[in-house]
Amino acid sequence: MCNTLEYELAKLIIDFCNVEDVSPCDIPLESPLIGPDSPFGLDSLDAVEVVVAVQKTYGVRIGGEKSSREVLQSLTALANFIRREKESE
Amino acid sequence: MKIDFPHHQFAHCESGVTTNLLNYHGFSCSEAMVFGIGAGLFFAYAPFIKLNHLPLTTFRTSPGAIFAKATKRLGVVVKREKFRDPLVAENRLDQLLAAGRPVGAQTGVYWLPFFPPAYRFHFNGHNLVVIGKVGDDYLISDPIFEETVRCPATDLRKARFAKGALAPKGKIYYIETMPQQFDLPKAVVAGIKEVCRGMLKTPIPMAGVSGIRLLARKLESWPAKLDEKQTLLHLGHVIRMQEEIGTGGGGFRFVYAAFLQEAAAVLNNDQLLELSNHCTGIGDLWRDFALLASRVCKGRATIQASFSELADLLRKCADEEQILFTRLQVAIK
Repeated sequence: MCNTLEYELAKLIIDFCNVEDVSPCDIPLESPLIGPDSPFGLDSLDAVEVVVAVQKTYGVRIGGEKSSREVLQSLTALANFIRREKESE
Repeated sequence: MKIDFPHHQFAHCESGVTTNLLNYHGFSCSEAMVFGIGAGLFFAYAPFIKLNHLPLTTFRTSPGAIFAKATKRLGVVVKREKFRDPLVAENRLDQLLAAGRPVGAQTGVYWLPFFPPAYRFHFNGHNLVVIGKVGDDYLISDPIFEETVRCPATDLRKARFAKGALAPKGKIYYIETMPQQFDLPKAVVAGIKEVCRGMLKTPIPMAGVSGIRLLARKLESWPAKLDEKQTLLHLGHVIRMQEEIGTGGGGFRFVYAAFLQEAAAVLNNDQLLELSNHCTGIGDLWRDFALLASRVCKGRATIQASFSELADLLRKCADEEQILFTRLQVAIK
């Protein structure tokens, strides 16, 4: 998945949330980003960090009726959300 | 038996259930519009009310209020029923489903098996719509989920009769009749007026913009009054109420901004578009607060230096909300 938006996002999350011992290429695309099954080991407090990092990097606001719970379901869901938002700009 | 019910996923359970029910009955609307007409936006910090042993911070009105106010303002006739006996409650639900009526229900999240274990906490104000029954399983439209879900009758019974704060007591509600015509502009104005009143004129210091300032004062004192563990628990609790409990982020401020954008078109009032942008900016301010707070909780920022900065961010939110709702009152006069 290297060189894809999903890879960029995995790298962004690792940087912003100080995740250690995880390589962005090793993250399964459909794994949940937050919660006990997260390969990043992130909890709900980290979700705010991810949401703000995405907004600052891609200019896309996660909020309103499309909640962070849905968008942060997986790298695929997050990347698709960003692509859709960018297309509609 | 399954009712052909248009299920959609939304940010928040009560406004989502209300939206799905109104859509089913022929009134096409967004979650933001329901939230706005139902005057869902609020703020209160009530240290004497505890949720999970921590002071209550809420960014919305009380459970049930959005459904009640949105339907009333649209002229929709609704019926609510509560029960003492779980079996009577279940029979009544079955009877309504057999008559082809989707039924809203208040439940305790902890007892709903379709929630992932990590999300099953003791909260009794969760709303969903029961849309059918197959064998011993109920078919459920829960706006938190992307698809409809199934729930064994025994589990739904436990969820409808969960004990503790906000105990549902089997509460169900459904739409009885829809009006011939809707006066949407009138409903929108009424919803806006109520939110402005709540945020600016509630005569108790723990509610509205005064409540945000009270939280700022209290929060600043936590590191001196509480030990580190309690300080971080108190702070984490505020962020969870703001960003997690189905608020759509920014403590419902982004949802309300979307409502103001729609309201501008309904009322043909461009000032509301500008105020919608202001409201989005306020959501971002709340998010700045949550970001710093989460960094403190995660040990990525120091406690002592950060608490005065956090309090200043809250005061800024309060100042901006005072400006927003004062201008909003004038804009809809």
